[in-house]
Amino acid sequence: MSVLRIKARKGAVSIWNNMGVWLINIILLIALSFTTDNFLTSTNIVNVVRQICVNGIIALGATFVVLGGEIDLSQGPMVAVLGCICAKLMMESGMNYIPAIIITIFIGMAMGTMCGLIVSFLHVPSFITTLGLQYALTGIVLLITNSQPISGLSEQFTFLGRGYLGPIPVPTIILAVVYIIGAYFIKFTEFGRSVLAVGENAKAAEMSGISVSKIKTLIFSIAGLGTALGAVVLAARLGSGQPSSGTGASLQALAAVYVGGTSGGKVTNTLAGVLLIGLINNGLNLMAVDSAWQDVTLGIIIVCAVALDVIKAMRAATSVKK
Amino acid sequence: MNHSDRKYILELKNISKSFPGVKALSNVNLSVQAGEVHALIGENGAGKSTLMKILSGVYKKDTGTIVFDEEERNFVTPRDAQALGIAIIHQELNLFNNLTVAENIYIGNIPRKLNTIQWGELYKKAQDLLNSHGILLDSHTRVGTLSLAQQQMVEIAKAISKRARVVIMDEPTSSLTSRERDILFAIIRTLKEKGVAVIYISHKLEEIFAITTKLTVLRDGQCIGTYNTKDMTKEDLIAKMIGRKLTKQFPPRNVEIGEIIFEAIGLDDGKKLHNVSFQLHAGEVLRFAGIVGSGRTETMRLIFGADKRLAGELVVRGKKLKRNSPRNSIDNHIGFVTENRKEEGLILPFAIKFNNTIVAMRKIKKYRMINMAMENSVASKYVKDLNIVTPSIDQKVKLLSGGNQQKVVLAKWLFSDSDVIILDEPTRGIDVGAKLEIYEIINDLAAKGRGVIVVSSEMEEVMGVCDRILVMREGRIAGEVLPPFSQEKIVSLAVGG
Repeated sequence: MSVLRIKARKGAVSIWNNMGVWLINIILLIALSFTTDNFLTSTNIVNVVRQICVNGIIALGATFVVLGGEIDLSQGPMVAVLGCICAKLMMESGMNYIPAIIITIFIGMAMGTMCGLIVSFLHVPSFITTLGLQYALTGIVLLITNSQPISGLSEQFTFLGRGYLGPIPVPTIILAVVYIIGAYFIKFTEFGRSVLAVGENAKAAEMSGISVSKIKTLIFSIAGLGTALGAVVLAARLGSGQPSSGTGASLQALAAVYVGGTSGGKVTNTLAGVLLIGLINNGLNLMAVDSAWQDVTLGIIIVCAVALDVIKAMRAATSVKK
Repeated sequence: MNHSDRKYILELKNISKSFPGVKALSNVNLSVQAGEVHALIGENGAGKSTLMKILSGVYKKDTGTIVFDEEERNFVTPRDAQALGIAIIHQELNLFNNLTVAENIYIGNIPRKLNTIQWGELYKKAQDLLNSHGILLDSHTRVGTLSLAQQQMVEIAKAISKRARVVIMDEPTSSLTSRERDILFAIIRTLKEKGVAVIYISHKLEEIFAITTKLTVLRDGQCIGTYNTKDMTKEDLIAKMIGRKLTKQFPPRNVEIGEIIFEAIGLDDGKKLHNVSFQLHAGEVLRFAGIVGSGRTETMRLIFGADKRLAGELVVRGKKLKRNSPRNSIDNHIGFVTENRKEEGLILPFAIKFNNTIVAMRKIKKYRMINMAMENSVASKYVKDLNIVTPSIDQKVKLLSGGNQQKVVLAKWLFSDSDVIILDEPTRGIDVGAKLEIYEIINDLAAKGRGVIVVSSEMEEVMGVCDRILVMREGRIAGEVLPPFSQEKIVSLAVGG
């Protein structure tokens, strides 16, 4: 009897250790399909998938920063600024959508790189650097737009946010591509491993010949890239550059990274975190829960998920220790 | 006083403890009398730490009894052990750097009247305590400004202030100079006179003979026996610890010394080092001696590019190093095993294979991608070659013992094709068996024509494993000693005679 129970418990623990947040996602998926009428409809599923795309792309950038041992709070207002710049380039400078997107991405990476340089070479903590940038960008977006949305974007451009290739929404394809590239970088390149090493022990990484300042700069460039891509897709979905868009995007992205659990350095964990947050939002919407309560729930879930991850890591550490 | 009549202050009887898959302790006995310094020795993984953790209430024993002051006790939390008067002084100190010596000693128990701290009384009490134990410290000093040895004394004073009757010291001298160690020993003798029992854990056998009266040997979780220290010889002890006779403590050295492969010319860092010049030959093991703080570690960091070089040249195989960074030194085949492997040598939460290949990731790439199969075979090879004891190459290095961690650090420099390998205190905190293996690896490296620099404070160790000794004093090379090495000559150069 007790042997069986121990076996069952061990099995459950190992499933949890291997699947983590994906398991919670599956449970939530099943629970939602039973408790709500509309969850399992194809419209709703497509809706959830479309909603998480922007957050997913931004969160991938945040993943690199968090894995490298830093934090980026500037992504939210950066989404608004970049979305509006992209829209302005097309509507006011009459640019074609492709060069507009390229310039937007370039600006995003430049802003990220600047942050990275400040963090690595002036040694200002990333929390402060990106907090400052967050404030500055919140003002800048209002200055460049006069607080007015820039609408009327071309259909070629909005296709990136609203279109479908067969049954699959275009943003989902973009999401999949960037995650495959992200996973490749983390797992198969020297750069990815260096990020993991720097995030865990910068001193040892430096003494192993890794240039810590270079890596710390580059992770912010990547965050800028992710933010720019997210901004483009969001603007395309909204059909306009919205000065108020992206509010809370930095926190949503960070929440996804932490809820997914960064330990082990898997970008798929972030994806699981993004999905979890998306499912919770969707579920609460379907159950017609007040949006204020949604925020409360999300806050509690973020703390609980990270606590679970920490407990898991602690248990793994003590069970093998002599 | 007749020793055999004296009662035991602490008796551990038949203590057993298992962890999943490992029997860490089986039927271990340890009896300690008041006023005795009792050594607990054994190789890493022998169960010393587990036993001390049970004694201090961190782990719960499976079976067995703990008798303290003739009463059976059960410790559930560390606080229970503390309340009885059992204090542990860990290798890593638990002090508040921004508080004064007095505050640290009485933290949690600061004299108060009407809830207001009585500062005058606090400092007076602390000073009296320090004076009465021969500790030369001012109770007003901020702990952060003290040396490591002085901080350790504060920790001891803290234990005494809690009326500790049993004080456990875990490798207390691992970062002390020999002069600081003498001060520590004087304090231990004072404790002894005052009837405090001291359990002394150390890998350094000379210390065991210098300070302890009795010793208990653990091997593989079993108690080998308790002996009077004066009845034992060093060879006896080693044989008991490792369960076999070590025919020699150091492997023989028989290597061909080749041409010069590395040269330092007039190194200066503008702070501590002045005009440090020396040459290293292929196949040579060159040892750097000197007291702690003489500039040995600083020299090595400079050579490796970890610190800024203000003046001087570094030449590897006739080629001058232009830039000054760890990467540049690595690309010129210099490897550096730092003195603190946990902080600077390893990425602790990651696997052996990750750490093994981190310096030379380019060597495990195929089609510009890191190739997992190549990584696995590299790690498997080094685990086998260096005899790293681990369940698998995926094991996180933080779960390995000190000796095995050190071998992983060595593996990473071997894999990166270092021609000049610098080892700073390579055997610190490592047990006797693993030490011997590290020496063998050093010999092997030299035999393969690499140049090895060893910085070590253990006199005997270095005389046993090297071809030439350079002694540093106050940031300069004070002199060179050639075999046959004379300890007197090294010491007189080191302290300036």
